[in-house]
Amino acid sequence: MCCFIAPPDLLDAVLESGNEDEQAAARRTRQAAETARAQRVSVTGALRQLALTIADVAPAPGRVRTVYDAGNRGYYALPGRRVRGEGDPAVPDEAVNDAYDGSGLTYDFYREVFGRDSIDGRGLEIVSSVHYERDHDNAAWTGFQMIYGDGSGRVFRKGALTKAIDVIGHELTHGVTQFTAQLVYSKQSGALNESFSDVFGSLVKQYSRGQSAEEADWLIGEGILGTALQGVALRSMKAPGTAWTTAAGGGDRQPAHMRDYVDLPDDGDPANDNGGVHINSGIPNHAFYLAATAMGGNAWERAGRIWYVTLTERLRARSDFREAAEATVAVAGELFGADGTEHKCVRDAWRQVGVLDG
Amino acid sequence: MKVSVVRGGGFAGLVTTTTADTASLDPGDAEALRAKVGRVDLTAPPPAERGAGPADVPAYKVTVEDDGRVQELRVSESGLTPALRDLISYVGSVPGHEERVE
Repeated sequence: MCCFIAPPDLLDAVLESGNEDEQAAARRTRQAAETARAQRVSVTGALRQLALTIADVAPAPGRVRTVYDAGNRGYYALPGRRVRGEGDPAVPDEAVNDAYDGSGLTYDFYREVFGRDSIDGRGLEIVSSVHYERDHDNAAWTGFQMIYGDGSGRVFRKGALTKAIDVIGHELTHGVTQFTAQLVYSKQSGALNESFSDVFGSLVKQYSRGQSAEEADWLIGEGILGTALQGVALRSMKAPGTAWTTAAGGGDRQPAHMRDYVDLPDDGDPANDNGGVHINSGIPNHAFYLAATAMGGNAWERAGRIWYVTLTERLRARSDFREAAEATVAVAGELFGADGTEHKCVRDAWRQVGVLDG
Repeated sequence: MKVSVVRGGGFAGLVTTTTADTASLDPGDAEALRAKVGRVDLTAPPPAERGAGPADVPAYKVTVEDDGRVQELRVSESGLTPALRDLISYVGSVPGHEERVE
């Protein structure tokens, strides 16, 4: 899988305002991109007809996982002490084995479903550090690796962040986004970045459990909440805004529709969440849920493929909800036929959440 | 002296606020809090890495209110100094601190 450095809008600008040579070069670049994409689509299509995936016909050189123990220390001490490498046997530390197994399931998902070889598509080593800080209630992708806190027991149950396969899928997908659409972590492009991580995090869980769209719980972080939060999970794609509450009257603030969009500034204040990236991601999350459940069957096969092609080939760093919606509709038509079920389901989903008109 | 720490970002995306007020701490703990604040340079904060890219690193805001004077520091996970880490950890663990999750 390759990606193209020159974004489509740059090519548009050159086609409009460049000199004759520059315009010719831009046209050639665009044709090359379209040809390569068409070839990829036809290869994956042919494999699907044979009931095969790329994993059946080519080796998986990129499943290289390394897990470190951060030793309850901070960012400055990353990655920490190397505890388990690819192919090594399990170790006594459960968090290490959970991070190892979860990144393996995530790698296998991307490899078997989309033919993608690791985070960058070129077999990048998957590095995880567990026991980050002390009682840390978070997990993150740093741009280079994943970090997992142990949880304090109050916000998240101890050990829960490495047990939840969708948390690991969520974090690794931030890496995939970094190497593809590079969605800027701010406002709508940031909420899309978050949403793609939730979508593929949920799909990793569904794929590893063999659950259809009807069987899936569509929750992010089911069962991970600690004693300070009451609820079933951290987020719900099925019913955004309903996942948890606190005794003090706080709770899940995710909207499910554009009329409830929470417009926050991106001012570096953590209370404003980079302009609501973890809040407004509820809208595209719900759109995916609606599209996938309307199509039925295994969500990774059709809705997931449409979202994957959109993320890796269509979006740009500052794409907003509307651009993402239009791109998924276009991709659904290209992959599965114009005015087919998938095309219609995707368009209806974005209309139901108020991103597309009609 | 009142010290508030607001955390956000990461996988969780929750906004968690922990507060420790010397008025409601044991005298020894209040003294320790003042000492830890004294070791943090609030006037020359490390640059917050905003819009740095797709990474979802956690972010912090530390506010110190003392005798009507308010100082505030915003910093990402990667910019935490040892003194700041120590202060943030203390505010979240000292007996008598308050915690709120939004």
